[in-house]
Amino acid sequence: MLSLDYRQKMKVGAWGFVLPIILLHAFAIVIPAGAGIFYSFTSFSGIGEANWIGLENYSRLIGDESFHAALLNNLKWLLFFWTVPFSLAILAASLLAQVKRGAMLYRVVFFIPYVLPSVVVGSLWRFLLHPDDGLPGLASTLGIPGFELALLGRSETALWTVAFVDNWHYWGFLAAILLVAMQGVSKELYEAARLDGANYFHQLIHVTIPGIRPTLLFMFLMTGIWSFLVFDYVWVMTGGGPAGSSEVIGTFIYRTAFQNFEVGYAAAQGVAVASIAITILILFSLLRKRGWEI
Amino acid sequence: MKASRISMVSMGLVFALAGCATTSASDTATESGGSGSSESAEGVVTMWIDDNMVNPCFADVVGGSWTDQEIGLQIELKPQWDSLTKTAVAAGAGPDIIMTPGVSYTAEFAKAGALVPLDEYSDLYGWGASFAPWSMAMGVSDGTLYSLQGELETMVLWYNKTVFEENGIAAPTSTAELNQVADQLSGLGIQPFASGNVDWQGVNEWLLSSVWSAQGGSDNVYAALNGSGSFTSPSIVEATAQLTEWMQTGYIGGGLDRYYTTPIDDYLVQLAQGEAAMNIEGSWRFENIDQFFTEAGSEWDWVSFPTADGEPLFSIGTGSSWALNANGANPDAAAAVLDHVFDAATQAALVVQCGMSPSPITLDMADLSSIDDRQSRLYAEVAAAAESGSYGYLTWSFWGPKSNTYLVQEIENVWAGTMSETEFLAGLDAIFLEELEAGDVPPLPLR
Repeated sequence: MLSLDYRQKMKVGAWGFVLPIILLHAFAIVIPAGAGIFYSFTSFSGIGEANWIGLENYSRLIGDESFHAALLNNLKWLLFFWTVPFSLAILAASLLAQVKRGAMLYRVVFFIPYVLPSVVVGSLWRFLLHPDDGLPGLASTLGIPGFELALLGRSETALWTVAFVDNWHYWGFLAAILLVAMQGVSKELYEAARLDGANYFHQLIHVTIPGIRPTLLFMFLMTGIWSFLVFDYVWVMTGGGPAGSSEVIGTFIYRTAFQNFEVGYAAAQGVAVASIAITILILFSLLRKRGWEI
Repeated sequence: MKASRISMVSMGLVFALAGCATTSASDTATESGGSGSSESAEGVVTMWIDDNMVNPCFADVVGGSWTDQEIGLQIELKPQWDSLTKTAVAAGAGPDIIMTPGVSYTAEFAKAGALVPLDEYSDLYGWGASFAPWSMAMGVSDGTLYSLQGELETMVLWYNKTVFEENGIAAPTSTAELNQVADQLSGLGIQPFASGNVDWQGVNEWLLSSVWSAQGGSDNVYAALNGSGSFTSPSIVEATAQLTEWMQTGYIGGGLDRYYTTPIDDYLVQLAQGEAAMNIEGSWRFENIDQFFTEAGSEWDWVSFPTADGEPLFSIGTGSSWALNANGANPDAAAAVLDHVFDAATQAALVVQCGMSPSPITLDMADLSSIDDRQSRLYAEVAAAAESGSYGYLTWSFWGPKSNTYLVQEIENVWAGTMSETEFLAGLDAIFLEELEAGDVPPLPLR
């Protein structure tokens, strides 16, 4: 039995190791977050005094159609990223799990886009998608019809095109995470399933996915939160245009704060978006409490 | 061209006669003299400017001609310099000399008490005599001078002279002629206007600035800007509709989808190679238009943006606004540097060596004798037009920040057909009047 003194010393030691990161967290996250909440109740322009205006920013937010439109785009983004990259990643990871030779090469190739800076990826794809000088132009030159469109220049396709590029950057990372999770699924389960007559698809649905559920749901959670934080790809590739069709909350907040000099209002928008992220977190916590393995 | 003193301030003389203003490191650094850190320190004056293609030349000219041995000058080129400056100043730091993209930015700094009043320095250095009164008025906030305006800008119609000559087309002077020329070019399979806003969404306001004053009428724009009129006046609505028509028919940029995806360099190549024949852009393009046309082996020229009545008119404004940081350690030294930046010799050197637009100060044309005739012609014509009252207003110099952002953003909804011109302009009215009441609109010289 450990003595009380020893346990206390262990506790103090543990806190000592954790303290630096707690201080960093407080300095870099808690204090700015608190400041953001404070400024959301003011008419702060970003410089000078912050005058208290109470809930005025929030009541303005309720009626702001541009904000609602941007939020809707984030929801579309969320829908896209909860389906397309997950489908690709699950399929790729389950196929890659069966590859013995050259598996590392595939993993590296899938992962490479994720390590590229978002500004580089966005700029590169902006060029590749140019209707005359990029891949569509090449297709047209080769006589392949249907590629004359400037996807980033059309309201109907701009947001989905940017999402496609971000997906190209992201799905490989997701596949790598899920592959690791799949390698933790017991091989006996697959053997038993095969003996029961399960084909590849049955094994995927009834063995693989249940086996990686904690990882899968965690990545759903993170992807959901990240969907409300998207900024870089949209800003680099379209700036939120054309005609606001690809505007997301991130770009809207940036514009409000730094072009309109309305930092207080932008802070209120940020608090609203953070509330959505917190809601997602609470939902997952509740599911966990009900026994879901997440 | 007379070798006499044709001055930028001749425009200002008209305003002066009319009365006073109405209301309202990745970085590259150039060091001269002493040394110091990028933040303010005694003995060194610091300046942060944009890390663009031209500013290394600016740093060389200004830094190279600064000879004061007691005061060092450190010029740093920074990407996103405007955001960095704002953050630093808000934190009580930042460079001694604050350079912003426009007077609405410096007005925000002034409101926050972050700038040094310049009235005494103006008396000391005689800025009131060398700067055009209209530009001095722009730097005034609550009756105090806080900023000096740099880089005189105006919108012109650039055109491929080779294409025009080969097809027997004369440069248009009126809106009617411009439409005829555009139709003729389109019929020849040549895109009438080269343009694209993917690099800079503000291209939208280049177009609006041009059509509103030239076709909507500068008197109507003036009335809307001082609150006595409205942006929904029929002629401004009609001018906006004309622009929308050009956009929707593909006359500008080859179509909306191309306009939204074409970088600036690409459309300048189109212009130079004759795929497009005209370009609505500002006088800053003198910086590098030659290199595009030299490569393509064709000639360029410009005319004032065609007006409804065919008389030359130039929408004017400035491209930068300069002030002194109240957090600075040595405002006297910083003011001396500011005076050096806006000295006639320095400004002439910036025009000649860097192709930059001069600030709205008195310049001796003899100092500009080595520049392209087409560039010196612009300065002479702008001065002449201003003397006759033929000037308009650039949106980024005379609108408040919110109304400026609104017009850049929301005009795309008009082009997309989801908003009418009247709705767009009514929205602009509402936001602008709020800003005018709050004192957030730069002062407007009397006409």
